[in-house]
Amino acid sequence: MASLSLKGIEKVYPNGFVAVKDFNLDIDDKEFIIFVGPSGCGKSTTLRMVAGLEEISGGTLEIDGKTMNNVEPKDRDIAMVFQNYALYPHMTVYDNMAFGLKLRKVPKDEIDKMVREAARILDLDKLLDRKPKALSGGQRQRVAMGRAIVRNPKVFLMDEPLSNLDAKLRVQMRIEISKLHERLGATIIYVTHDQTEAMTLGTRIVVMKDGLVQQVDSPQNLYNNPCNLFVAGFIGSPQMNFLDAAVTIKGQDVSLQVGSYTLKVPASKKKALINGGYDGKTVVLGIRPEHIHDEESFLVQSPDSIVESTIKVYELLGAEVYLYFDVEGTQVTARVNPRTPLRNGDKGRFALDMEKIHFFDKETELTITD
Amino acid sequence: MTDQEKLQKALDDLRSATGLDLHLNAEDSRDPEQTLSQLRQLSSAYKEKYNRDFFLQSILGEAVSRPEIDARASRFHIDAHGERRLFLIASRNVMDENFIELLKNLFPSSHKYFIVRMDGQRIVLISPCKAPGTDDAELTARTVVDTISSELMTSVQVAYSNLFSHLSDSAEAYSQTRLAIQIGRVFYPEYAVIPYNRLGIGGLIYRLPPALCENFLREVFGVNPFDALDEELLTTVSRFFQNNLNIAETARQLHMHRNTLIYRIEHIQKMTGLDIRIFEDALTFKLATMVINYLHAKKENSYE
Repeated sequence: MASLSLKGIEKVYPNGFVAVKDFNLDIDDKEFIIFVGPSGCGKSTTLRMVAGLEEISGGTLEIDGKTMNNVEPKDRDIAMVFQNYALYPHMTVYDNMAFGLKLRKVPKDEIDKMVREAARILDLDKLLDRKPKALSGGQRQRVAMGRAIVRNPKVFLMDEPLSNLDAKLRVQMRIEISKLHERLGATIIYVTHDQTEAMTLGTRIVVMKDGLVQQVDSPQNLYNNPCNLFVAGFIGSPQMNFLDAAVTIKGQDVSLQVGSYTLKVPASKKKALINGGYDGKTVVLGIRPEHIHDEESFLVQSPDSIVESTIKVYELLGAEVYLYFDVEGTQVTARVNPRTPLRNGDKGRFALDMEKIHFFDKETELTITD
Repeated sequence: MTDQEKLQKALDDLRSATGLDLHLNAEDSRDPEQTLSQLRQLSSAYKEKYNRDFFLQSILGEAVSRPEIDARASRFHIDAHGERRLFLIASRNVMDENFIELLKNLFPSSHKYFIVRMDGQRIVLISPCKAPGTDDAELTARTVVDTISSELMTSVQVAYSNLFSHLSDSAEAYSQTRLAIQIGRVFYPEYAVIPYNRLGIGGLIYRLPPALCENFLREVFGVNPFDALDEELLTTVSRFFQNNLNIAETARQLHMHRNTLIYRIEHIQKMTGLDIRIFEDALTFKLATMVINYLHAKKENSYE
């Protein structure tokens, strides 16, 4: 398998459209790296530059220390799986997996060995004689993966491979891909716009927006320590709540004014605001839905961080309930226990877990840290 | 080319068309020219009568009339009527036989799908419309792009035509897709799939006479339109437009202070008289840059 290095990678099309700018990343051998971001953020373009399907406008791409910018795609020792995969309808599973190798004039006995090995890894051994129409959606997806695996490449590139599957199958295939990564011990770069897929699959995640890398981190760190407002809002579902808050610093006491509510900032969070000189300024307060509580015990313990509102929407999801309400004109979501007595139209009291809040600079949108 | 070489070429052509493997020596022939001419006529007649690809190529080249299409199509078991769409698969590299092999396996029903090589860099796929409202041209095009990318490690562009209901209209559909590929290469190089019915403003500019475009540029940029702006300034403007004229966001993305960005924008204003912070001027500038791209491409013939 292989390590990759992307140094200052850029993609500017002849019409001036900047798709990717100053992309820097080192990928270790056997890593499962996820590129995630909204549509048009440059994640697929970056992947295609790694594959050699797009010319690199600037910067250097290295695979195992060798510069690859001008190396033909077929000589980069990579394999790709795309969103719009199609199996050859009249061919068996075996032939579907063997087809690419046949085109490359690989000897028959070698093809046979490679196909049977890939089928074993993917649990397709008993389906090799079947045609695509006799396969389930998940099995078809595995055959598509098999077509990449038979090449035994250094790096796997996957561009939204699960996007065309229904929700249930997507969950199933997510688990399959995760297992596959373990079995193959392969370096995988995986593009998705689905942050759940990103969080569950990746060893590290690259969050992109408008052609720029926003943050590269482990899933847990991205969730707990987003570097800016975009990452905070993009990672997590339901997304983080954002409220404008005016900062008041009096000696060592720091408080936030959110409309008519005054919230006391705990000691662990004060330093960033004091050191950053935010007294009298407005910042963006971020809080995840699971850190807003309606239990009595929490309300009693947190008298300095309580807001009140009328429930607009009550959503029961089985193991949890989402409550939607307004705080000073901004919609807020709370993820609470299904035993909550609150329903549509009820007036509720909520305590914000101030130890878990985030602050963002209103102008730069960067996280305020000490 | 010697007589023997010419003869061999004609024999090869005959063999590929008919399967007949003849051996002739130029020296044995009393009149090599006449022999050659007869062989060529034989190949051509055979192709016209029995070679489906040749027939389809002729239709796409507008070399067959509608009544003739109706008459000859049935010989190839082709129904000349029926809703169809034409996809043009184009690459800047030479597309070898593997491309045809792949497409034939992806669309294996030869009665429904027609795959025709037009030249080394263009292949046509004519696909039936399954049922009204269920035709998913975008998905078909994307499937072709993705399958070629993953199996053959080559990037291609695919343009698709409007629907047509008789094979005689496929020549027009082919023209539509050729135009779409040309326009796509100039104005939308970031897209792999280009539908003829969504060419947007690029389609409009492409149809303007170059002289009119040059006049427009002279109005906007003065006498030296091509050299008026350097690449860095154009990248800045492009990013500014991508961010819907938002100065703070553009400055952040370009890692520059907002005052630097404002300075650059004012510099452009000095050079062109256009303040791109104002919508109307931004629109003029955007059109002008598209026109520049078009004229550049036309100059270099880079869209072919």
